[in-house]
Amino acid sequence: MDASQQWKGKKVVLVSVPGAFTPGCQANHLPPYIQNIEKLKDKGVDIVAVIAFNDSWVMSAWGKVNKVSGEDLLFMSDTKTFFSKNYGWSGLGERNGRWAMVIEKDGTVSYAEVEQSPREVKVSGADAVLDQL
Amino acid sequence: MTSLKVGDSFPAGVEFTYIPYTEEKDSITSCGSPQQFHASEEFADKKVVLFAVPGAFTPSCSVRHLPGYMEHWNEIKGKGVDLVIVIAMNDAWVMSAWGKANGIKKDEILFMSDAGIKFSRSIGWTKGPERTGRYAMVIDHGKVMYAENEPAGDVTVSGAEAVLSKL
Repeated sequence: MDASQQWKGKKVVLVSVPGAFTPGCQANHLPPYIQNIEKLKDKGVDIVAVIAFNDSWVMSAWGKVNKVSGEDLLFMSDTKTFFSKNYGWSGLGERNGRWAMVIEKDGTVSYAEVEQSPREVKVSGADAVLDQL
Repeated sequence: MTSLKVGDSFPAGVEFTYIPYTEEKDSITSCGSPQQFHASEEFADKKVVLFAVPGAFTPSCSVRHLPGYMEHWNEIKGKGVDLVIVIAMNDAWVMSAWGKANGIKKDEILFMSDAGIKFSRSIGWTKGPERTGRYAMVIDHGKVMYAENEPAGDVTVSGAEAVLSKL
């Protein structure tokens, strides 16, 4: 999926996690985004996408396990941590770092923060992002 | 890299990572902590069926390969097998979740990670640069009794029925 193309003209919240099905991501990072989907949409967000280094089969399964269906929250693979590596925000070895970004309709990045410690969910969490919108 | 054949000893120093079953981490949204599994040591005094799949949650592996082992589990155990283990390149968390997603909670079939496809690479049975091949082995007290890698896309020599016929 060509993000740069498909997301033109849309307001996107992009969240990166170190790994699907891992403790921090599953317990602390993902659920608040699921719970706050409507609030995010009320603030004009068109798409919320979660990426990790895992392949797209695993990401799809992770979404289903968390009972996310439809197009609210997209689970995608940052294949080869391409996106994370190119922006200097990769985490441990082959995994993505933990960060969140808001991309406005005109393609500008209005928020981009990476966790100082990948074990924490602060600046990359749903609350922090909501505050910025 | 040396291939593994019937009659060979299972190599020393082989390790996988996995998350052992615990009651508290029973649910699929409850993630445990990966641990090392010292395969070579563990296999020394047991009869083991080890099979590898290119990827957790992928179509063939989930629909055609794993279910066969689940269906034939009783018969496999009936032939004196102590451990049935499935490995893939996915990390231990993903393997643990795949097990739970298939309703396997305890230790009927152990789901482990061939981290870095180290073991699969050492025997030359990989698929592309990152994935394990699709293969199955029977190791009896450290000796390889059966070892076959799928030549094509189907599940034949690496499936539960093929393995059963060799036990």
